[in-house]
Amino acid sequence: MGVFKLKKGYDIPLQGSAVRRIEKVLKITAIAVQPIDFRGMRPGMKVEIGDTVKRGSVLFVDKQRPDIVFRSPASGTVREIVRGERRVIQRVIIDVDADSSESFENFSKAQIGALATDQAKKILLNSGLWPTLRQRPFSRIADLDKAPKSIFISAVDSAPLQAETDMLLEGREQDFQLGIDFLAKLTDGKIHLSVSAKTEAFFSKVEGVEMHHFSGPHPAGNVGVQIHHIDRIQASDLVWYISPRHVAQIGNFLIEGEYPGSKTYALTGSELTNRHYVKATEGALISELVADPISTSTQRVISGNVLTGRQSEAVGFYDDMITVIPEPKGRRFMGWLQLGFNANSFWPMFLSKLTPKKKLAPDTDMNGEERAFVSTGEYEKLVPMDVLPVHLCKAVLVEDIELMEQLGIYEVAPEDFALCSYICPSKIEFGDIIEQGIIAMEKEG
Amino acid sequence: MKFLERLLNNIDKTIKEGPFKIFHPMFGAFNTMLITPGHATSTGPHIRDSIDMKRFMGIVIFALVPSILVGSYNVGLQAGVEGLFAAFMFGFLKLLPIIVVTYAVGLGWEMIFGHINGHDIHEGFLVTGILLPLTLPPTIPLWQVAVAVSFGTVIGKEVFGGTGMNLLNPALTARAFLFFTYPGNISGDSVWVAQDGFTGATPLAAVASSTGSAVDTLNAAGFTLNKMFFGFNPGSIGETSTIAILIGAVILLITGVASWRIMLATVVGAYGMALIVQFLGADLAGGMRTLPAHYHLVMGGFMFGTVFMTTDPVSAAGTNIGKWIYGILIGVMVILIRAFNPAYPEGMMLAILFGNVFSPLIDHFVVKANIKRRLNYGK
Repeated sequence: MGVFKLKKGYDIPLQGSAVRRIEKVLKITAIAVQPIDFRGMRPGMKVEIGDTVKRGSVLFVDKQRPDIVFRSPASGTVREIVRGERRVIQRVIIDVDADSSESFENFSKAQIGALATDQAKKILLNSGLWPTLRQRPFSRIADLDKAPKSIFISAVDSAPLQAETDMLLEGREQDFQLGIDFLAKLTDGKIHLSVSAKTEAFFSKVEGVEMHHFSGPHPAGNVGVQIHHIDRIQASDLVWYISPRHVAQIGNFLIEGEYPGSKTYALTGSELTNRHYVKATEGALISELVADPISTSTQRVISGNVLTGRQSEAVGFYDDMITVIPEPKGRRFMGWLQLGFNANSFWPMFLSKLTPKKKLAPDTDMNGEERAFVSTGEYEKLVPMDVLPVHLCKAVLVEDIELMEQLGIYEVAPEDFALCSYICPSKIEFGDIIEQGIIAMEKEG
Repeated sequence: MKFLERLLNNIDKTIKEGPFKIFHPMFGAFNTMLITPGHATSTGPHIRDSIDMKRFMGIVIFALVPSILVGSYNVGLQAGVEGLFAAFMFGFLKLLPIIVVTYAVGLGWEMIFGHINGHDIHEGFLVTGILLPLTLPPTIPLWQVAVAVSFGTVIGKEVFGGTGMNLLNPALTARAFLFFTYPGNISGDSVWVAQDGFTGATPLAAVASSTGSAVDTLNAAGFTLNKMFFGFNPGSIGETSTIAILIGAVILLITGVASWRIMLATVVGAYGMALIVQFLGADLAGGMRTLPAHYHLVMGGFMFGTVFMTTDPVSAAGTNIGKWIYGILIGVMVILIRAFNPAYPEGMMLAILFGNVFSPLIDHFVVKANIKRRLNYGK
């Protein structure tokens, strides 16, 4: 058990957190399953428009690794397969009707305990829940043929307005434990579970994991940061990570023998008045989850948090929350001269710095234009790892593979640099650059 | 507001497509200065910090205001103008043409390169355009200013690829150009007082040319520590008043615009080296070597360079450890030049340029150390 008190990072004071109350959404008429949620995966479709599917039917498979299947979280009829640029499949939209489920073999706790690694792997692949396992390096769906050094689970909620893990898992302690028992079959190494002061109580009885305590500002909850502090990876290492909710989902699948299609979401953001948790179908359309009227011309609807989420009509596979914030209201007169009582800023250049606790409701204005890099030393204050953010990004920009490797590209994901993009006076997209670097490394093999 | 926005958008379109497109970068800068660009984010992070380069550079200019005020007053004072306001106005009217020429010529070049490279005028020049005049004597011929700014902007910055890519501080590059091409107009005893027929040596020059005790020399010339701290002695317009510069330093440090590491390291380096020189002083001849260490901090361009020039984030070292090394290097260099180079009593400009040249190398070693630490992890 390790205790990690991180100093570096920054919590953006935002209005719009969800109250701790779960409501059930009764009417879900359609869902969207989005292949673009899975970075680097090209789907091979198994359904066509008009096909009827059950909860748990295969919708598509990974073209390169057809053993990885993706199943439908609800039963209904395939209404549309939306393609984007270069005919890349963006999402599969399914009209939901009365629930019926494919059935799978179910397991007791004892049976799970007796599984061999190969068996466990086959069960998980077949369940459609393999994609819940992701790996570092590269933060994509876990490889099939290489066993991980260890598995990491982060139950530390540090992202802006982040859904609280204990709310997402309410009443699912048993499912979670079964999921852990099962994951233990997939690795010879340890399972590391990181908790914070807030989530510690919920996980106090979990067995079979190595517990770690993390405290500090965002990104202390990022699994990449935790891996860096608990058991750093080198080029040849491979670790897996999975979210606590997905662990419980795997447990639920094993005990029930059905694909677990429901999910709890947090509804957050300064533009919503009804902010709470909802229980609904995975992939639900956001318009059906929120009670407030939403106008996409004046409001931005994000699946995920404001730092790393994506504009979307449906909630993404890995996301547990939606955030709705205002779009810019137009150009402002002499914006650079403002006193800034309500200016959101990491920098002590606005009067809002005098009221650091005051929660703000910033819009999606870039607040500036792209400029040359200015290495002020502030970026380093936001990355709680022994990584030089500016130099790593420069290595990516000059496409120096060896230098990227040496500066730690294997350890990082775009999400770890989101705060750097946030505070950047030159409006450099650190996350995009890191993503570019990761793609270059993957190509290199 | 909407009217202004529409108006600017229309002008923007006319200029962009019309025969005046060379002015587009200039207009772009003006346009976004008047009302914010207003672009929305396209990817995550969906919200962005309120900071931008305009604010960032605006703070630096704000921090320079005390130096401009006191510097202007001092120019009048040295020229023998009576009265606080009269002296200030006298000095300010000497400074203003230099600033105007610097901006006009510099922005002209920025505009041409902005047009070639297809970007707006970068805000960094707004700072360069004030920094350079403050490092010049009040008597500098304006045509020389124009030539120097051209050199500083084109050779010091644009040939490296523009703002952010330059190796050297453009303002200091311009000043160094003047120093080596027209030394008669930027050094010696006759350039510091903006009144024909009057001369006045800077305190550093007075010490350098003396052979006895430095403090005695200074006192004899009327340069007490107090006077030099407030900046009532001959020198470049903005560099003389230590107190005004320190007010600027506080603004830069509170807002986080400049690196405290660099400022502190430069002071530590200079003070340390000056102590060593003073310690050796007994065995050495010459005025500068008997100068008490703390005198160095208020004399010449040291404080101005430390606060406003070494901290230029583009030409300084970028890593945190690198900033310490960079600052100490500059601090040590400036004292070495002052003490051991009889031809050149002021060392700050060359020391900073020297630091600028070395900063990529310093960063290189810091990055290498990071790589080594990473590789050794777990071994």
